[in-house]
Amino acid sequence: MTDFTLRSDQIDVEQIMRQIRARIKEKRGVDYTEEEMRELASVKLERFLDPRALRADLLQHFRQQQARDPLPPVPPLENYAFDADTIYKSHRGPLRWIRRLLNPLLKLLFNPNPLIHVLHLQGRINTQLVEHLDALHREMSRRDELGALNYEVMTNLVLELTRLGIENRNVKMRVESLSTRLDFDERRARALEGVVQYRPGAVPSAPAEETRKPEAGEPAEGQPEPDAAGRPGKRRRRRRGRRRGPGDELGASPENGGADEGNDRSAREADQAHAGSPEITPPAGESGDVDSQ
Amino acid sequence: MKLAVVVQRYGAEINGGAELHARYVAEHLARHHEVEVVTTCARDYVTWRNEWPAGEDALNGVRVRRFPVRRERDPGDFGRRSARVFDRPHSVNDELAWLESEGPASPALTRYVASREAGYDFAFFFSARYYHAWHGARAMPERAVLVPTAEREPAVGVSIFAPVFRGVRALMYNSYEERAMIQGVSGNHAVPGVVVGVGSDVPAKTDAGRARRRFGIDGPYLIYVGRIDENKGCRELFGFFESYARQRSRDLSLVLVGNTLLPIPEHPRVRHLGFLDDRDKFDLIAGATALVMPSYFESLSMVALEAWALGRPVLANGRCDVLRGQCVRSRAGLYYENFEEFVGTLEAIERNPHFRQALGANGREYFRRHYAWPVIEQKYLDMLARLDEENRRQAHRAAMEPLPGWFARRRSTCRPAAEVLAAVPAGPVLPAGAPRPAPRRHDDHDPDE
Repeated sequence: MTDFTLRSDQIDVEQIMRQIRARIKEKRGVDYTEEEMRELASVKLERFLDPRALRADLLQHFRQQQARDPLPPVPPLENYAFDADTIYKSHRGPLRWIRRLLNPLLKLLFNPNPLIHVLHLQGRINTQLVEHLDALHREMSRRDELGALNYEVMTNLVLELTRLGIENRNVKMRVESLSTRLDFDERRARALEGVVQYRPGAVPSAPAEETRKPEAGEPAEGQPEPDAAGRPGKRRRRRRGRRRGPGDELGASPENGGADEGNDRSAREADQAHAGSPEITPPAGESGDVDSQ
Repeated sequence: MKLAVVVQRYGAEINGGAELHARYVAEHLARHHEVEVVTTCARDYVTWRNEWPAGEDALNGVRVRRFPVRRERDPGDFGRRSARVFDRPHSVNDELAWLESEGPASPALTRYVASREAGYDFAFFFSARYYHAWHGARAMPERAVLVPTAEREPAVGVSIFAPVFRGVRALMYNSYEERAMIQGVSGNHAVPGVVVGVGSDVPAKTDAGRARRRFGIDGPYLIYVGRIDENKGCRELFGFFESYARQRSRDLSLVLVGNTLLPIPEHPRVRHLGFLDDRDKFDLIAGATALVMPSYFESLSMVALEAWALGRPVLANGRCDVLRGQCVRSRAGLYYENFEEFVGTLEAIERNPHFRQALGANGREYFRRHYAWPVIEQKYLDMLARLDEENRRQAHRAAMEPLPGWFARRRSTCRPAAEVLAAVPAGPVLPAGAPRPAPRRHDDHDPDE
């Protein structure tokens, strides 16, 4: 945010604000609204992404919870069926006859019907409760199985998160290391550019051209060139072999031939040896070196 | 010409806001005309308690006439009435009761200003939202000049103010944004109005080194001058600055000048110096990297103008239309609307001395051209001459709309004031040709005055 070009006092505040906002947008990738930013800020991603923030005893706690609360077994309930004649029933026949005989008198003294109705209702409620408890029991058994599955998933998640966290840290360290090396190389390139002076007559251009000619123009067949080690025609044979390959048109072009043959170390060494050691290394070549790292 | 400056409070120790504005105007107009200040006996703007004796007084060569306030403000009652008037449909009577509750209710003051005995040619009523300005302007509309000092707050949308904006002889606005807002609310385009603002007696020479030594300040610092209050955006500023200091800056401090209503954060780079006299204040501003104005609501920031006069850039809250508009027009300040912009703008100011200097130079020029006292005085004198000319030609229209009738005043036909204000387009008034920002609507309002 520091390099503003100032032409005398022609400051356009709106323009500067647009620049600042553009850089903010560039930095965070997306131009979030204030509400979106607040929403994002309210989610503590670190808690999930940082393996150190995870509870170390999470799995253990989960296991304990599973063990601590076993589902209590439902005792078999005996339901008391109740109907209109239940209160008059007896296994003794005379008693049953007397009760039926005196029933009108009993009903004269109080009305047993509401009592019978309530007790009958209670019986039905009890039946339904038992059914519900059975269903609950089945559901809890199913949950237990689900809990076991959850436990397995959670274990895997924790393991994966931990692994990802460690990997993330390693990647970060690698990125830092690479950026440090990149900085160093850039500084070195700048320093070399500053130190080395170009002298037009220092290196005869003809040998260089001669060196490049075979690469660009593909020397005539049947005239193998010896390389620095005296191995005749090895590189040319390989390149011809590649060019014959299907769909390898780009690789055969003289402009990117060097890049295509990045793995052909011996061929490159041969080129360098043939060209000799140049006094000036062009900056583009250096940046190419950096890129190749 | 005999002039009255009518303001809610007046005194040497009242060091900010519309009251200081009124004092400056009275003292400068007194060089050209006979000026009398008419005010209340109140010193505290929250209670309006009568603390000064009623009667005549003088301050810096200007005669001051004080009248007692009939009753102190009851904050609970005022809060309830404000909620009703701002947020719910209501009647004109509700609004009148709200105005009475807000105060400072001084019928004696109103009667005196309008009386023949006083014999004023014109009266400048400061702060449109208060009792004295509304009643005074209605009592003598043909001689009333209103200085609204209105911020973008729901009170502007209260329906009883629109007839006053349309009925006075002239308005002296503080900023283009204020004028646009009042014209949007009341449609008073026909009333003569001029954007004036207020000047400041900034010393020709300052000694930043003296202030640094006196307060033991080392290194660069950002300065805030004013009441340290949540309503001024200070809490947000504290949060932003602490994060900025932690992440971006190694030596920038925040210096706070003014009385505080907030706890100051315990941070090694936040310094609270309390209320200071003008010399210390100006010296500190002159030595600052920039002045920060975190307020969401301002009708005109005098301290921002003072910073510009001293060649310092201003970092303002971009959600305040007035401050943003002034930054753009002056080309002397940047503005922020969130933390990232705060970081970006402050970093740009802090790390680019040339940029800072260029902003400061623009600020100095902006102040000289628009807010130097000769310019301000001339605008007032021109307006008075224009009104006097209209009087002589009998060309002016005296038409203060009457209040609705007895029954109409009791009908709940008035829209919530906040809703009225929200319908008025917001945003800074930018120079012609500049790209216009998307119109913004302010739904939330500052509950404080």
